[in-house]
Amino acid sequence: MPLASPIVRLTDIRRQYGRGGGATLALQDIKLEIAEGAFVKVVGTSGSGKTTLLNVIGGLDTGYSGTAVVDGLDLRSMNDRALSRFRNQTVGFVFQHFHLLDHLDALQNVTLASFFAGREEADPLRRAEEVLVRVGLKDKLHSVPGQLSGGQKQRVAVARALFNRPRLILADEPTGNLDTRTSGQIIGLFELLNDEDGITLIAVTHEDHLFRRATAAVRLEDGRVVEAGPA
Amino acid sequence: MNARKLGRFVGQNLRRNRRSFVFAGIGIVVGISSFVFFIGLGSGVQRVVSTEIFPMEANRIQVVPRMVQFDDASGGRVIDEAALAEFKRIPGVAAVYPRMKLAVPSTMAMVGSRIAPEEIERISRMPGVKPEWLVAVRDFNSWLEIMADGIDPRLVKNDALFGKFEDPPAGQPIPILLSKRLVELYNSSFSRSRNLPPVNDILIPYMPALPWTVNDSFVSEAQVHGDKVHTHVRLVGTSHYALLGGITMPLDTVRKLNRSLRGERAAGLYDLAVLEAVSADRLTAIQQSVRAMGFDIDLSQKRMAESIGFAVTLVIMGFTLISLVMVGIAAVNIAHTFFMLISERRREIGLLRAVGATRRDVRAMVLGEAALVGGFGGAVGVAAGVAACLLADVLAVRLLPEFPFKPDHFFSYPWWMFVGGVGAAIVFCVAGAFAPASRAAGLDPASTLSGR
Repeated sequence: MPLASPIVRLTDIRRQYGRGGGATLALQDIKLEIAEGAFVKVVGTSGSGKTTLLNVIGGLDTGYSGTAVVDGLDLRSMNDRALSRFRNQTVGFVFQHFHLLDHLDALQNVTLASFFAGREEADPLRRAEEVLVRVGLKDKLHSVPGQLSGGQKQRVAVARALFNRPRLILADEPTGNLDTRTSGQIIGLFELLNDEDGITLIAVTHEDHLFRRATAAVRLEDGRVVEAGPA
Repeated sequence: MNARKLGRFVGQNLRRNRRSFVFAGIGIVVGISSFVFFIGLGSGVQRVVSTEIFPMEANRIQVVPRMVQFDDASGGRVIDEAALAEFKRIPGVAAVYPRMKLAVPSTMAMVGSRIAPEEIERISRMPGVKPEWLVAVRDFNSWLEIMADGIDPRLVKNDALFGKFEDPPAGQPIPILLSKRLVELYNSSFSRSRNLPPVNDILIPYMPALPWTVNDSFVSEAQVHGDKVHTHVRLVGTSHYALLGGITMPLDTVRKLNRSLRGERAAGLYDLAVLEAVSADRLTAIQQSVRAMGFDIDLSQKRMAESIGFAVTLVIMGFTLISLVMVGIAAVNIAHTFFMLISERRREIGLLRAVGATRRDVRAMVLGEAALVGGFGGAVGVAAGVAACLLADVLAVRLLPEFPFKPDHFFSYPWWMFVGGVGAAIVFCVAGAFAPASRAAGLDPASTLSGR
């Protein structure tokens, strides 16, 4: 049954890499709706299309056919400027490899999005400090990535995703580079953001068992959704 | 992304990649310093040509009687008092300075042994006098038939530095001016080879009065009618308006001599008039009026200056082109460096796109870095070029032998050279970085973030 006001609605999404005989079909016939405020885990084997699905929802990949509507916006109809603004204002990304800039400290990494923000944050450093405190890095504000553990780096990445108050956080294997204990802490942080701030969370993972409090699960196989529903 | 944020971002990137950019910028520094050196040298030579060798003030023209005249209808006229009055009435003319030729031949017999003892004593008091100068002056023997003209003293008021340039009372030496070009040639070759004292601002006041005979000729007695006039002349300065192969004296003196030796008509005809405009932009209209009145404009000085200036410009342009080719090659190096850096920063660019950077932002960041590298490289290049100019200037002045019109400074530093140096560096760097910037802007964020 269709959701009344889904934050994500994918219709007949098909994504193919390459052409001719060497073409790879990463996603096919994807129909998916995600309710606002949901905590969704996307699981599946390697190469099943999880990251591609996340890139489509996040507006990083526009080379698909079908319709992807996120937060009421049809992503494929948007130009580069509008799509960039969407990524800046609506979505926060968390990656497996953190993707922090080594020459910047935690505060500067978190304020990165403020360089491109359409709406000006009155005091970007104050906001960055606020989100870093929120993720438990009060004492690491001026540490560069080389001085941080894996878990701390991922917390900085989460803080960076939170900086512009997104409605949706997309996490691609956020615990893939972390030990079990640290993974638990990061997932706990996601649960907190979902519970307290109502942020919609979509996390791609191999470690299905760690995301016990996800409200919904999507299983992909060979680019198709084979299972979607409550976790 | 606004300019302030872009500047901060670009600054951060430059700091962390400074080593790469320093190496990439070396070519820019070398090229721009060469550019500055050749422009400085060219401007310096042009300055000497236009101010020392063939000077002509921008707001003055020289009017002469029309040289070629087919019939009376062509309107050719002589320059007389009526013509001078008409020149003064031309709109835009601020002043008219007439020049009159001495209508009779004259001679100068410079015999050292005839110089009065008090004049020799005067020479011996010259600052830095050499004993051989005194010997050479005493032994000097020269008989010259010399041309003379008279000029409006107002035109040369800044040149007659060592005496009043006006018709003298009877019995006093006539003040004369020599051509700066003639003096330069004398100083740089003739005086040196014959151990004679040079003619310069320090020594002119010590020069003796020389005998001058008017209405006298060594060449043709047929031109001489009437009595000879024996008098003396004394050098009071040098001027660009003085006769190149003769002596120039106050207009009233020549007018008086012409009247007494050739009659009233000779005392009222001028061979040239310098017209001074209220501003240089009025000259074209004034020239048209003068031509319409039946006179010509003497452009020989201007044309000579332009011809030499053109030749100098051509040579300097060749060298400047070479220096710009060097900057161009440096720009290729810049392009290579940026391609390399963008390849290293693929994931970072992907991340910036993920947090909201547009393709335009990414392109602006790369081009901004290139512009800053160009700006720094250009500034250092300009500084290095000026330093090279100063060093070369000192060495040239000290080591090069004397030659006519050898300047005190071989280089000039026009303001546009500094702006052009830095500007060219920025333009070349930005041009070099354009292809890498386009590639960076076109990177697919999804594939760069996943490492594909």
